[in-house]
Amino acid sequence: MSGIGTGYDLYPTTFSPDGRIFQVEYAHKAVENSSTAIGLCCKDGVVFGVEKIILSKMLVEGTNRRVFSVGEHIGIATAGLTADGRRIVQNARQEAKNYENFTSDIIPIHVLTERLSIYVQVFTLYNYIRPFGCSLMVGSYDEEKGPSLYCIEPDSVALGFYGCAIGKGKQEAKTEISKLKLSEMTCKDAVKEIAKILIKTVHDETKEKEMELEMSWICKETKGKHKLVPKKLIEEAVEWVKGQENEED
Amino acid sequence: MFRTQYDSDISIYSPEGRLYQIEYAMQAVAQGSTALGLKSKTHAVVVTLMRSSDELSSHQRKIFKVDGHMGIAISGLTADARVLLKFMRNETLHHKFVYGSNLPTGEVVSSLAMKSQRNTQRWGRRPYGVGLLVIGYDGDKTHLYQTSPSGNCFSYYAQAIGSRSQSARTYLEKNFKAFPELGLEELVLHGVKALKESSGKETLTKLNVGIAVVGKEQKFEILKPNKVQTYLDQILQTEGEIEIENENENEKDEEAETLELKLD
Repeated sequence: MSGIGTGYDLYPTTFSPDGRIFQVEYAHKAVENSSTAIGLCCKDGVVFGVEKIILSKMLVEGTNRRVFSVGEHIGIATAGLTADGRRIVQNARQEAKNYENFTSDIIPIHVLTERLSIYVQVFTLYNYIRPFGCSLMVGSYDEEKGPSLYCIEPDSVALGFYGCAIGKGKQEAKTEISKLKLSEMTCKDAVKEIAKILIKTVHDETKEKEMELEMSWICKETKGKHKLVPKKLIEEAVEWVKGQENEED
Repeated sequence: MFRTQYDSDISIYSPEGRLYQIEYAMQAVAQGSTALGLKSKTHAVVVTLMRSSDELSSHQRKIFKVDGHMGIAISGLTADARVLLKFMRNETLHHKFVYGSNLPTGEVVSSLAMKSQRNTQRWGRRPYGVGLLVIGYDGDKTHLYQTSPSGNCFSYYAQAIGSRSQSARTYLEKNFKAFPELGLEELVLHGVKALKESSGKETLTKLNVGIAVVGKEQKFEILKPNKVQTYLDQILQTEGEIEIENENENEKDEEAETLELKLD
């Protein structure tokens, strides 16, 4: 199987001799060039964490967001081309609004995920539009069903996860996540663990510039609404991570 | 190695997952002359260096008003900027008509970013080859946003775009921590000083420097050339003082050098 698709990789409408669509695989690479995002399903909710690389000191902190709300009860975290991510979120918001107008009920997360997945797939069918260069993690929490987390990739595959990572450091992050006991963890603990993974494991201080942590959750405490994790909690988590480093030294 | 094959269409990814057409569009922005923006808690300012194609022609405008509380400075293809400007003016006007209030700057920038992103996804379209610095005052806050051909928009305390903008950016990075508390006059002076950093050999005159301000109790206003000249005069004055200081220091250094030679 050839790794380079030369000749068969210009358009999503061309299959390579071994049955691969290279433009979609290159779209995956666009996601892998971006900084990492993590989502965890805990026993009382879902927590997202994004490693935002600070490209300039003059950027206003807390802006240029990578987590978005769809309705009040669903959160989406993106990795890859941010503009593409925002386009999909705009579509998600439209879907949620239409569902609510039609059924007078909030859209369930599995319905939204399926619709987004179909939307993303359409862009892999024609030669005059390109696939989205971003992956999304969609999360929600329900009293009855518990936490749900789905990951939608550029090839439109949407799988359910207990814990997921997308972006540059996803391999290392996934290894760390698999060591955690998610079913016994609370959201507050998850905030600390995600901070630890993003700061220590994924972020390379020597190679990259400073990072900003953006975290959000949907949990029992927020009554099933998607909210940003309070700044105080994030600061405590960062302190805890630094404390851990000192202990290990 | 892959550039030539994958860079002719916006709808083609390269094997490394890059979209070269967007990167080339950003080059178009980098070719435009410098535009910079900075904000304090009460005011936001844009300063631009305008080019003229020859001595007989006027200088190309780079600052445009969108609404009473919002304006833009552009760098890149002026014609593309005009399209985006028309879009912004329509949005703000529509909002005023329907709701009777000013459209928040962040919202129109978001819509603009979405519009720019659409052009990066279909074959047959090209990204807008212009970067905008949007300044606005709404909700008791000042705003400075940068938009780019990729459809990304960022919120900044201070930013410079266009050719030779790195020197201006370095100046702004050194000084931006002090900006929030400054008054309008000092803020504009910083802007002009930053512009001087990236003007290279070109002398700043009232004809080729554009300044616009917006803020608390200050509607978006493009300053008239005579007002611009007052700021330029202030810069020249302080520069003159610095030059005299430097000359004195240089004389002292020369004395020290000659002393060392004698000792040797």
